[in-house]
Amino acid sequence: MASVQERLSELIGEFADLDAREKLELLVDFANGLPPLPAEYEARKAVEDRRVRECQTPVFLWMESDGTATATFVAEVAPEAPTVKGFVAILAAAVNGRPVAEVASLSDDMLDRMGLADVLGILRTRGLRAIVARVKRGFAELAAAGTGN
Amino acid sequence: MPDYVHPEVLVSTDWVAEHLSDPQVRIVESDEDRALYTQGHLPGAVEIDWAVDLQCQVERDYIDRSAFEKLCAERGISNDTTVVFYGDQNNWWACYAFWVFKLYGHKDCRIMNGGRKRWDLDTRPWSSERVSYPHASYAAQDQDLAIRALRDEVLKHQRAGKQLLDVRSPEEYRGERMHMPDYPNEGAIRGGHIPGAVNVPWPMNCHDDGTFKSVKDLEKLYIKELKMKRRSPTIAYCRIGERSSLTWFVLTYLLGFGSVKNYDGSWLEWGNCVRVPIAKGGEPGGPSAASASPPPASASPTPAVHA
Repeated sequence: MASVQERLSELIGEFADLDAREKLELLVDFANGLPPLPAEYEARKAVEDRRVRECQTPVFLWMESDGTATATFVAEVAPEAPTVKGFVAILAAAVNGRPVAEVASLSDDMLDRMGLADVLGILRTRGLRAIVARVKRGFAELAAAGTGN
Repeated sequence: MPDYVHPEVLVSTDWVAEHLSDPQVRIVESDEDRALYTQGHLPGAVEIDWAVDLQCQVERDYIDRSAFEKLCAERGISNDTTVVFYGDQNNWWACYAFWVFKLYGHKDCRIMNGGRKRWDLDTRPWSSERVSYPHASYAAQDQDLAIRALRDEVLKHQRAGKQLLDVRSPEEYRGERMHMPDYPNEGAIRGGHIPGAVNVPWPMNCHDDGTFKSVKDLEKLYIKELKMKRRSPTIAYCRIGERSSLTWFVLTYLLGFGSVKNYDGSWLEWGNCVRVPIAKGGEPGGPSAASASPPPASASPTPAVHA
């Protein structure tokens, strides 16, 4: 089974050689592919503090692990933020089902490799970098708590 | 759009729907999230992105006059085109683009009241087709500094105790928050506001459906409650001058303030300047805080949240 880094490389590879418009179209395709929030999480959303308050638009992230230290990354991103939604969908596809410790050591350069800075500008990509940091931190905490080994 | 002082700059979704194919009109979308345009835009609308199209990628400034001319020409916009801006987030970025067009002297700029939200609520059609128009020719003017304030002018304005408006969130105004947990600080070293500035968070200008509030409600807010004067020169700012361009639009066109400038350097510049005065907390503070002495102890840096 491909590692989280290999999966990410494959997903990101799709962005190579695309022009700006095509990159945005691909990002929108990914956004459209993010599965709707499962019903159980819908209920939890109301009682758990999972909202990423820093985002203007509602974004909810769950970084979890089952008993086997496998990463489960569930997210809901408001439809008015397709860039974030597409980006989160790529992360979810790469992360889910991989060992928690492996996800925690994900490299930080995915945005650079996607070539999104030219398409989105500096300030926007900072926000996306922060999402990567948040996801990594969430899984690092699980790993440190002993569920990751 | 009754009662507004300059109602001609605001058009309804009905008006836009009737002018989608009007060769005299160019519809321009500007968004916080530019993938929204990719996903679906008004039929025939072109996109102008604040970060990629309007800002210089080298210096911290807007694109220069010749780049602006090229941008317009490429989108089929001539000097006499009616340009109608709309977008997400209550038209905040649409107002930003409108402001840049005014900066370069474009005559006929308008905002579609309610932006993407109102268009969607009205269940009007979206298109994901690529849009292009034959090149136009465009001649811009030099920047109109009557609507743009630079740092030294803001400092002078502040020292003179003139009208200053901070349109950020109350937490940012009070200096409790400069950046978000887990988020990189986007650049300000100090938190707080420019002494003397009153705080009117920008969403207070709009209804839930994205349309602007009535002139009566806006007058109540700015003139009755805050005692702002239409004739007094006013400078508005936020973090990078985006939210404040919406407030600039409201004060200038809807309420008819005589002289409003947008300070686009905003907190990202002010919060980093050496020896500029800063006030913390919920009170505006006054020009008396504007000494050139070291900043007050209360302006010490907020502890970094991130590692």
